[in-house]
Amino acid sequence: MDARSIVTQSPEETIALGHELARELTPPVLVLLLGELGAGKTTLAKGLVAGLSAAPEEEVTSPTFTMIHEYAGRHNVARVYHVDLYRVESARELETLGLEDLLAERAVVIVEWGEKLGPAFRPSAPDRLIEIHLKTVSENERSIEIRAAK
Amino acid sequence: MTEPNETPTRSTPPVRILGPIRILGIETSCDETAAAVIEDGVRICSSVVASQMATHGKYGGVVPELASREHLRAIVPIVRQAVEDAGLSYSQLDAIAVTQGPGLVGSLLGGLTYAKSLALALGKPLVAVNHLEGHIHAVILEEHLAGRPDPEFPALALVVSGGHTLLAVAERETKKDSVLSDSSAVFSYHILGRTRDDAAGEAYDKVAKLLGYGYPGGPVLDRLARHGNSGAVAFTKPKMKVTKTTKGNALDFSFSGIKTAVLRYVESHGLAEEIAERNSFRRENPTAGFDELLAHSSRTTLDLVASFQRAVVDDLVEHTLEAAEREGVNSIFVTGGVAANSLLRERFSRLRAGPPEPQPRGAPQVRATERWSAACPPVYFPRLSLSTDNAAMIAAAAFPKYLARQFAAWDVPPDASLALGQ
Repeated sequence: MDARSIVTQSPEETIALGHELARELTPPVLVLLLGELGAGKTTLAKGLVAGLSAAPEEEVTSPTFTMIHEYAGRHNVARVYHVDLYRVESARELETLGLEDLLAERAVVIVEWGEKLGPAFRPSAPDRLIEIHLKTVSENERSIEIRAAK
Repeated sequence: MTEPNETPTRSTPPVRILGPIRILGIETSCDETAAAVIEDGVRICSSVVASQMATHGKYGGVVPELASREHLRAIVPIVRQAVEDAGLSYSQLDAIAVTQGPGLVGSLLGGLTYAKSLALALGKPLVAVNHLEGHIHAVILEEHLAGRPDPEFPALALVVSGGHTLLAVAERETKKDSVLSDSSAVFSYHILGRTRDDAAGEAYDKVAKLLGYGYPGGPVLDRLARHGNSGAVAFTKPKMKVTKTTKGNALDFSFSGIKTAVLRYVESHGLAEEIAERNSFRRENPTAGFDELLAHSSRTTLDLVASFQRAVVDDLVEHTLEAAEREGVNSIFVTGGVAANSLLRERFSRLRAGPPEPQPRGAPQVRATERWSAACPPVYFPRLSLSTDNAAMIAAAAFPKYLARQFAAWDVPPDASLALGQ
């Protein structure tokens, strides 16, 4: 696992980081966002979705209510899924979400509350998984650690 | 909207001219399974709502898989009850209306599939309704029920619920060539602002969960807020950045920051222990009433809740007034589950009541925008049962579509993120 740690000073910088990271994503890939309430998961997801040219960042909102927001992708990315596991309580509920099916196409699947996604639901190929740990440092500062296969 | 002639499987269904038009509405966009029969778009013959609150309460939110399963279990008896309560037989219905979106896709699919099957079996037209349009029509329905004249258009609608936070202008155009002059109106919508992250009701739910008050968060926080000092904690107002690259505008909302600010406050004021105690108290006493929860709340927590509520309501009111002034609307509609919030209602009612009374010391200062009350158009709220999710509003919204023959194709799909005005 290759890990890189980045500190952003504002939501705008977190979004900009998402834009940069989006350029390096090769579908199908699962991007897990881990971190507590307010750590910047939705903010980073805004940057990722916008960076993939799937939607402007202001249209990327919290998927807590509908669980999955789906966007049409561009170029080599067919679909972008923005998933929120905040309310998921059991493995059976995870199964009904069908994340594996989403990954079967040329998709980028961004998952908030990735802590809730057990190993059984993660892709077996390590290059299909990126783990991003977000931590609150101060009011605007966030430490963002990106872990990906070398 | 798909024209009926695009559906090869049937011709345009007949629209009845004489006698009352009875539309069955079906709503399953989130955690309520609801059915209602509305006559001529203005009279409620029946309205049945089965809430899954008890099922979801255990999970601290709406669990999509549970929601769709509960809808499947409930929909047949709920629809049957709505038709029976109306004193009708299925054959006396003129159309079946159903929520197409936005909402949880699994939940929407259950209602939509059932509505299609029923419409096909009965040989009745199907009308697809946007859930948000339903909330707007709940206001018009309320005025009809109360025997008051229609609100004047254009109207500014603030739709606030667990899943939605939206400001939109609703226009009503009357078709001149129609024989049914008043009722054959065509509605159009223009979105002015919406949330960029969390919905207002979602902020309530998340804050209630993190403070150990369970789900749903709106009603309990609203009641607790009355026992705290809303001036105790100052939250930073979210500023909506509008740049060349963003299409959003200054009327957009953001409720993600305040949720984080509440969490920071909890951490910095050592409230974790109290919250843990409250959570275990609720686990041991699942039927605990409001007074018991209040007794398990510290002054600090009550002040925090009151300040949170004030910040959210301030934001909603200020954006609404700014939009109303900018657009020069003739009415303001406040609707959706959060429209039941007592402070939100009080603040909007006060606008209409003229200049505010001098407030006692320590009470929140009246903001500059509220001095604008003289020019404020009338503000309309639906009653509580029409504010929260229901099917009467879906059937009411379908009535003008029925008259305009805007019927859905049989292959109309559920749309989890259906935008208003599409």
